[in-house]
Amino acid sequence: MTYEKAMKRLEEIVDKVENGQMDIDSLSATLKEAQQLVAFCRDKLTKVDAEIKKILEN
Amino acid sequence: MAEALTLLELNNMVSEVIDSSFTHSYWLSAEVSEVRENRGHCYLEFVQKDEFSNSLIAKARGVVWHNKWMLLRPCFEQTTGQPLSAGMMLLVQVKLSFHSLYGYTLTVNDIDPTYTLGDIAKRRREIISKLKEEGIDQMNKELELPRLLQRIAVISSATAAGYGDFCDQLNANEKGLVFYTRLFPALMQGDGVESSVIAALDAVMNDVLEWDVVVIIRGGGSVSDLSGFDTLRLAEHVAQFPLPVITGIGHERDDTVIDMVAHTRVKTPTAAAELLIHHQEAELSLVDDFSDRITGYVERRLADERNRLNLIVGRMPAIYTLFHQRQQNRLMQITSLIHRDIVGILQTDKNKLDLITARLPLQVNARLQNEQHRLKLISLRLRAVDPVNILKQGYSITQVGGKSLRSVSQLKKGDEMVTFLADGKVVSEVTEMEKSKS
Repeated sequence: MTYEKAMKRLEEIVDKVENGQMDIDSLSATLKEAQQLVAFCRDKLTKVDAEIKKILEN
Repeated sequence: MAEALTLLELNNMVSEVIDSSFTHSYWLSAEVSEVRENRGHCYLEFVQKDEFSNSLIAKARGVVWHNKWMLLRPCFEQTTGQPLSAGMMLLVQVKLSFHSLYGYTLTVNDIDPTYTLGDIAKRRREIISKLKEEGIDQMNKELELPRLLQRIAVISSATAAGYGDFCDQLNANEKGLVFYTRLFPALMQGDGVESSVIAALDAVMNDVLEWDVVVIIRGGGSVSDLSGFDTLRLAEHVAQFPLPVITGIGHERDDTVIDMVAHTRVKTPTAAAELLIHHQEAELSLVDDFSDRITGYVERRLADERNRLNLIVGRMPAIYTLFHQRQQNRLMQITSLIHRDIVGILQTDKNKLDLITARLPLQVNARLQNEQHRLKLISLRLRAVDPVNILKQGYSITQVGGKSLRSVSQLKKGDEMVTFLADGKVVSEVTEMEKSKS
């Protein structure tokens, strides 16, 4: 999963949700997926990835 | 032979001629090939090159005395954004003089910096139009900034404060955004700018996938030589670089060529850091916005569904009554159907019973006669085998020990035998036995 892909997927979900294309049965699965994506994106932006740091800053 | 002159006498003669002939000042337009400051004075070398061969066709020494230089220098630097340096075209007001020791010298009394500025701008325009011809002037600008703008290759001087300020600024962001930076050192002033910045770009290029953006920054507010950033070769490298390039070269007046071709141009390293922080902040708030919108929607949707359910539950009694009524009607229908069916079945069975009842006596009589006849036959046959009748015909039955005697081997001497005849019995004792041979 890349950040760009995660954001694209989130955009899709927001679109789908706001266009009322979401049925009640898939609501919890979608919410779960969205929360995972949000957490992933937030982490990317705000948590230091030790691996990247090691590669880039040395 | 005429009396020979001394060198001083000759030089003084030249000096007198020059002083008397060139009484005015002249405006001179010339390229500077050398600039040197010494004890507050500024020594220059003016040159003219052949338009085609580029070889020198004229050369003269010049000097700006300390008292003038003090005034002219700040004015020049403020207007052009650059210090007076080799390679520039100057418009200077000069007075000719000839010194017996130092020879021919142009004393500079005034400099028109707008001429130099115009020349720099002209040269920049030439470079830009060359880039346009090559079709590459907009290439870096057309690159899209990646959403995740974190891995930053910084091209800057290793010694100047610019890189440190930049990193401090980045890491002090309020939202805790993460950035990864590495310095690719390069000269940021003087003659080495072009080649060392290109070398740094090449170094970034070696691991181009590791980086999101290149930032070229230069710290310090003082005016210094920017001409290194105004070269065609460097501009070509920046314009065609596959990553977006952000410049913060730290000058106020006007843009160098690489500012013009870079993806984004800001004034200072601090501004470059702010730009990156803002970009990432916007991204973070977009993530938060998505999260809020989805969560909000799900909450609203669940509330809506709950209301819908409540509404249905509220209407339940009415629905139930209707349902109950329907079921009852159906039950009644079924009951009447069953009743009808049972009556039918019973009628049929009764008819069957009547028939059987009527036929029963006939069948019983026939059966009785049949049995009586059979009984008669049996009694006739029984009478034929009655031992009494057999005895009457002259047969007898002999028993030993209560058992009918059928074989000699049942007997032994002295046994008592009872023989039954039709009209009585005889008791006798066995005296002799003989088994017939057969």
